[in-house]
Formats: sequence, structure tokens, C-alpha cells
Amino acid sequence: MADVLDVLEKDHVATESLRRSDQALRLPVVAPPTSLPLDPPLVPQVGEQTHAVGLRAQRPDSRNHGLGLTRYIDDIALPGMLYAKIKRAGISSARIVRMDTSKAEAMPGVHAVLRGSEIPTNVFGTSIVDQPLLADPIVRQAGDGVVAVAAVTEQIAQAAIDAIEIEYEPLPGVYDALQALEPGSHKVHGGDTNVYARKVIRQGDVEKGFAESDRIYEGRYYTPGIEHAPMEPFTSIADWDANGRLTVYASIGRITLARVDLSRTLGIPISRIRVIGTVVGGNFGGKNEIRHEPVLALLAKKAGRPVKGRFTRVEEFIASTIRHAFYMDYKTGVTTDGKIIARKVRMVLDGGAYCSFSETTLGKACILSTGPYVIPNTHIEGQVVYTNKTTAGSMRGFGAPQVCFAYESQMDDIARDLGIDPIELRMKNFFRDGSMTSTGQVLHSVKVAESLQNAVKKFGWEVR
Amino acid sequence: MNVTLTVNGETRSAEVPPETTLLVFLREYLNLTGAKTGCDIGDCGACTVILDGKAVNACLMLAAQADGRDVITIEGLATREGLHPLQKVFEETGALQCGFCGPGVILSAKALLDENPAPSKQEIRNALAGNLCRCTGYVKMIDGIQEVAETMRSVPTPALPAASKGEQKHG
Repeated sequence: MADVLDVLEKDHVATESLRRSDQALRLPVVAPPTSLPLDPPLVPQVGEQTHAVGLRAQRPDSRNHGLGLTRYIDDIALPGMLYAKIKRAGISSARIVRMDTSKAEAMPGVHAVLRGSEIPTNVFGTSIVDQPLLADPIVRQAGDGVVAVAAVTEQIAQAAIDAIEIEYEPLPGVYDALQALEPGSHKVHGGDTNVYARKVIRQGDVEKGFAESDRIYEGRYYTPGIEHAPMEPFTSIADWDANGRLTVYASIGRITLARVDLSRTLGIPISRIRVIGTVVGGNFGGKNEIRHEPVLALLAKKAGRPVKGRFTRVEEFIASTIRHAFYMDYKTGVTTDGKIIARKVRMVLDGGAYCSFSETTLGKACILSTGPYVIPNTHIEGQVVYTNKTTAGSMRGFGAPQVCFAYESQMDDIARDLGIDPIELRMKNFFRDGSMTSTGQVLHSVKVAESLQNAVKKFGWEVR
Repeated sequence: MNVTLTVNGETRSAEVPPETTLLVFLREYLNLTGAKTGCDIGDCGACTVILDGKAVNACLMLAAQADGRDVITIEGLATREGLHPLQKVFEETGALQCGFCGPGVILSAKALLDENPAPSKQEIRNALAGNLCRCTGYVKMIDGIQEVAETMRSVPTPALPAASKGEQKHG
């Protein structure tokens, strides 16, 4: 009996001392598990019959969000992982003359330095393939990456890129979409024009329509570029296995496109690339394409260790994509009782330094630029130009919000001038069942008039 | 240098470089990843934690400054018995969409309610002034926080241990 007790006692002592030494040695800490509450889960149980109509809509994942349990990309760390930083040009139009990375390479804790010239195919893009991963040798926007470093901590990586010396030869630049159209302007990608996509949509005879109009209204509308500013900055992790297979963890919305771009830039078959999309902390259209993933992959290959890269908030603004800035010229012919009979739209999109999703944005903006209105004679002409500014890409609505601002602003101008209530003017011109859009699409189930009537009621338009 | 502090009621310590922020300390040394890195310059509030009863930006504070003090992170709110009323209401009202700002917003709200159990809408707005959200918007959060304040006032002690009582009432 005494022996048994003795054994138990010994066990007890062993655990105690182990615990003490844990603290004394300051061994790597393991987070205590977040207690999983016994509340009923938000997702239906196996075999449970649920009904949805009339219930408050709930997101099943909000349970994890609220508990802090959701594992976003930055909450993932792989063993032996390094941290990458990319040096941004900080100059919007230049040629790299000389680069000295020796100080960075000599720093303790720095495991890999990568230049643009080391990337197998240093160019990517969703339609026009024109964007380098690391500028080499021409810099076309201030946010262009020029060299990347992987180090054991973020601070060392930052210190290393600060220690890299680069000499630039400044080149002329162009910073306004309308100036970029001028023949004498700097050509961002060489050639003889900055225009890289164009779209024309015509219906009826717009000149005849203007001739038949009682009044003609002309206005220029401008919307600036806007950054998506998701709460979660771009973050990715690249990890190779010993068989030459690459795994990329990223908060990218379009992982298939990411695999294609990774395959093309790295020069390896797509079958060797696995992209794991993590929970996205806000996208808004800005996380639809690769940013730095191939750079991280090459750093990881050089260093032989997984590499994580996270954009700073500043990089998020200068080195991601933004919403296109639009110049929109609207010319609209109406009758005195407020019927629109002709509209001519000319728009110039500021595409920034590279194409990204510009073609899609241009297309959608042109198609929607006449608004939800029946207009028998239309002429729409749109073009996107390169400038030495932050690249514009996809963002919620793909060009629709910009043109909406223009045509609705003009509708208000017209209503004011004709002395017609702005709601009435819109009701007069709205699409109906069977209406044809500017592209010839015949519409069904058109609820726009009904929606506006509801909004008018809820807003209290009559008593405003 | 050694930093020892109380996190969610437990004494935790780690040896860190002096430039380590409280946010890095919590995320990388204690593996408490509930506080997020959104901007790292004190603008977005995704890193909000409660330090000695006050909501602070963990990214703007050195771990050494928190030495010996008391920190509450999002991981310390729920118990085995139930969610914190704020967590419960936020999921019910759909106040968490991508959820990245959620832990910070919930902790700012908790710090407010601990100090002022009956805040006005404007006081709630002021308390959330340092927390950015880009998806959900603030209306559902503000409504939710008011709902919690009312629920918590109707139970004897609005502190954490009583939270589970309010919970049952709520659910």
C-alpha cells in the first residue's frame, strides 16, 4: 500500500516539476484552447429539419468570427517560416540603373534576396499580360516592387530592403487620363498610344435623335480612384515540398486564376501548384488576382523554407489595384415633357500602370452607361489609358457605380431645368417589361419602377 | 527582455525583443490570434484588446508597457457555459460578415459596457470610433450593443460571471 502511494506521490512530483520547469525555461508557449461554448451551433445538426422562411438570416461562420477562432491567412504560421518584404520603387516612372543588394545579403537573418531578372516569366495579367512581379528595368508606378527579401523576422526583412541601394534614372510620366490621350504624352508601355482597350456601342441614330430633341444637356462628370481597403491586408504563404510541388495559402477569391498565373510566371505545370484559399477578411473585388505570390514562391525556393508576405497598409494603397477613375462626357437630348430620345456618352478610364481587369470594367461601364432608361438613339464610346498611377482593377460593380453617378447626376440637372419632379422624370423613362437595352437585350421581370416607388414611400419623398 | 502579464485571467510570460508590440506579443508569442493586424498604425482598431479595463490598440503599445498589467483578449470572453452576450447578439443580428473587425469591435463594446452599463447611441458611436468595418457597417453593431446593454442591466451583476445567466435569458 505504502509502495502504491509512493508511486502516486512520485508521479505527482514529476508533473509538478515539469510544470515549473516549463515556466522557468520559458519554453514556447501554447495558447490555451478557446473554450468552445455549449450554445446550440448555428449550423443544422445531422438529420435536423430546418425552416428558413421568416427567420432572421444568420451567418453560420459568425460564431467563429465572434469568438476570434476564424483562422485568417495571417493567423496561419508554418514551422520554420520566413517573412518577406518587397521594396517599392517610390518613383512612378524610371529605369533601374544599378542595384546593390550586398548589404542586405550580408545581414544576419536574411535568407534570400530576389530580383526581377530571376523570375522565369516576370509578367502577369488577367487579360493583357503586362504587369511585372518585380519591375525590371522599367518602373511604371510608385508601388512597383523592385526587389524582395525573405528573413527570419519582419523587422529584419524590413531592415534588409532599407539597406538595398537602387539608382534610378527618372523618366517622363503621365498622370492624367485625358493627358495620356494626347499625341505628345509619355507612352507608359512604349508604342504610339496609351489607349489599350476601346469599346463602342451604337443604337439608332444619335445625331437624328439630337435634331429631334427640344433640349440638349451636356455635362462632364468625374469620379476618382478608390482603394478597396479591406480590413485584412494581402497576405500569402508559399511552401514547397521535396517533390517540387508548391502550396500557396492566400486570401485570393479566384484560386483557379491564381494557379494559372503562378504556373505561367514560375514556369511549372499547373498540376504541381495547389492554392488554398483561406477565409477572406474583406475582398470587394481587390483580391481577385495574384499580387506577390510568385515572388514568395521563389523566395521560398531559394531559402528552402516557407515564406509569408503581408502587405503593409501603405502597400495596400500603392501596390494593389484601385477602382478606375472615370472622365465621363454625357450629352442627352430630351423633349420638353421629359422623354429622353438620344444620349451620347464618351468616357475615358484611368487604367493606371497595368491592365488588370480594365477590359471587363470598360465593357460593363459602357453597357450600363445609358442607365435603366429607354433611349432609342445611343452612342457610347469608351477607352482605357495607361498612366503612371496605381493600377486600376476590379472593384464592386466593375464600372457600374461610376456611370451611375454620371447619368443620375444628369437626370437631376434635367429635372431641375425642365421643372419636372426628379422621380417623375425617372418614372417616365424607366425600362419596362419588353424594353430593349442599348446592347439590344430585351428585358423581362423589370422591377425598377416598383423599387423606386417603394424607396420613395420609405424615404418620405412627399414630405421631404 | 521578459514580459509577464495576466491574459484572460492567466499569468503568461515570454522573452521578447524590446521592440515587440503588445499585438505581436499576443499573436506570435502567446499564439492568441484573435486580435488582428489590420493597419499596424492605430487607425483600424482590428487589434483592440482591453488593458486594465480600457480598450487599447495593441499595435501601438509595446509589450513591455503592458508588463504586470491585465489584458483581456477575444479568446477570454466566452466560457464553456456560453458565449458572451455581445458575441451572441452580434451573431444574431448579423453584425459579423467577414469578421476581421469583429474581435476589436466586441472588445471596444465590452470596455464601454463595463464602464457605462446604459450608454446612449452616441456614446456607443464614440466608443466604436476607433474601430473600422468595411463590410457589415455599424448600424447592426450599434443596435446589437444597445440590445446587450438592456439585457445585461436586467440581470443583477453585469460582470462576466453573470454573463451566462443573461445568456439563458437571451437564448
